[in-house]
Amino acid sequence: MSSASRARLGEEVWKTRTDKINAELVTLTYGSVVAQLCKDLDGDYAEVNKQLDKMGYNIGLRLIEDFLAKSNMQQKCANFRDTADVISKVGFKMFLNITPTIANWNSDGKQFSLLFDENPLADFVELPDDGKAQAELWYSNMLCGVIRGALEMVQMQVDAHFVSDLLRGHDTTEMKITLVRYIDDELPQDDE
Amino acid sequence: MNRETSPFRTPSTGASPTPKHASLTASTNLRYSLTRKSIYDRHLNRTKTSELSKSAFAFLFGEMVQHAQKKVYGVQDLEKKLNQHGYAVGQRFLELLLWRDGRTAKRETRILGILQFISHSLYRAIFQKAADTLEKVRENEDEYMISDNDPLVNAYVSVPKEMSQLNCGAFIAGIIEAVLDGHCFPAKVTAHTAPSELWPGRTVFLIKFEPDVLEREALRVGG
Amino acid sequence: MVMVIMAIQLTGINRVVYAVLILNKAGGLIYQRDFNPGLQKLSSNDYLILAGTFHGQVSLASAARAQVHAITSQISPTNETTSSGLEVLESENFVMRCFQTLTGTKFLVFAEPRQPNLDVVVRRVYELYADYVMKNPFYQIEMPIRSEGFDRHLAAYIKPHQ
Repeated sequence: MSSASRARLGEEVWKTRTDKINAELVTLTYGSVVAQLCKDLDGDYAEVNKQLDKMGYNIGLRLIEDFLAKSNMQQKCANFRDTADVISKVGFKMFLNITPTIANWNSDGKQFSLLFDENPLADFVELPDDGKAQAELWYSNMLCGVIRGALEMVQMQVDAHFVSDLLRGHDTTEMKITLVRYIDDELPQDDE
Repeated sequence: MNRETSPFRTPSTGASPTPKHASLTASTNLRYSLTRKSIYDRHLNRTKTSELSKSAFAFLFGEMVQHAQKKVYGVQDLEKKLNQHGYAVGQRFLELLLWRDGRTAKRETRILGILQFISHSLYRAIFQKAADTLEKVRENEDEYMISDNDPLVNAYVSVPKEMSQLNCGAFIAGIIEAVLDGHCFPAKVTAHTAPSELWPGRTVFLIKFEPDVLEREALRVGG
Repeated sequence: MVMVIMAIQLTGINRVVYAVLILNKAGGLIYQRDFNPGLQKLSSNDYLILAGTFHGQVSLASAARAQVHAITSQISPTNETTSSGLEVLESENFVMRCFQTLTGTKFLVFAEPRQPNLDVVVRRVYELYADYVMKNPFYQIEMPIRSEGFDRHLAAYIKPHQ
């Protein structure tokens, strides 16, 4: 499947096979989740990042089935470049109606970045003005976990983390995704 | 105004569309990108008609429920947590709605008025449909009911038998409670499953106003 | 879009689905539902045997023949693996479609022999599973499915056509 036909598939799934709702409800609900974690964990932002990633991971384990069922994808990606393409053009498109830009491939083709021009989770958001949130909190960290969990279910172990965020005053919002390995044996998955 | 919708701020309650001290909070230590637009540069109506997938919400909401469930004792406690999340969302939605109504924004001063605002305007803005019914509880002077045949948040939720008292619509109850509070109609709002043959997921939001609200209403009717 | 149209067309067809089974990644039976008494009812044990059969690297046709023999005689399985990942087992008494998703979850649909478009049925069941099982916060991954919403929507999809 070519990159262009994936973009078409993403569009088609979004337009014809996706029930849609008010975006602000998702944005504000996500905000409530993050704010509650910050409160519960008393501003320990490293721990908040961890919890968000974990919650995302749990979502990813489930979301992959919805992704496969709706996109009707039945073939494994030929390589990690294809995987990147599918994540951006089909995955992000059908759930969040965005297609982050794929960039910064490393030489062995095992690491790339997603650049988020738009990030519906972060609309309306300003980080706490407490002198440390902008240095420590990755507000959208749940997305990393989602990707990690979803790919694990299709036998790919990846590392995903943000390296920059507009909310921190950076000029970009960038997530790095690295392929650790392809998982051969069927490991039992635990719902964390 | 944009600040009010940020999840880390507590929006001013009260229907006044301009918070009194907005201009006094100008000093900040936050860093902003010089090349990209901050939330202050983007129009608040930009996302008014934006859509995301119902699936994205369902997964987020589901994980919120699961996460909340880990730290609670019993159904009531879980509903309280969901109510709190909804409350935070409701506060912000109210600010957005009133800001968007601009000069036509009306401050509801009567019980029926605010309940109609909730079951029509608010419900439409959030769920793209009006609530299905709005009724007064006959036996109790201070209670009203808003019903939703098929609450969005429960679309994919199947509550296990051992938790049959639970209704995750507590989240919507929290939204309603926040909007009532924001209009100075303090009330307790709870979600109850009330299935009909056609609508197995039908949910009733029971609104119980504080005594003050009824006293004030009586004065208004009297005057 | 294509799927939607096909599903609508299907409503005009007299389709008889006997049973739907779902196996988790480890091959365990996590869902079993009979819709029609037309097929002599298989016991849970029979289903477990079938479930076990389709897990692992056992050759589908031969293993199935050995196991299904206990249930129906005169069986002549045809094993065809299509590009869509569907596998078919056909006998005089029923046809079975097995669909394995890329995550390893397996969906088995038993129906009257010579049923057309069973792959559409299987895919729709997969979608219902994604909606009413995966998005249900009270479902624990890999565990037996007890979800009133899934039961209801599955019945609503299968039954009106029977």
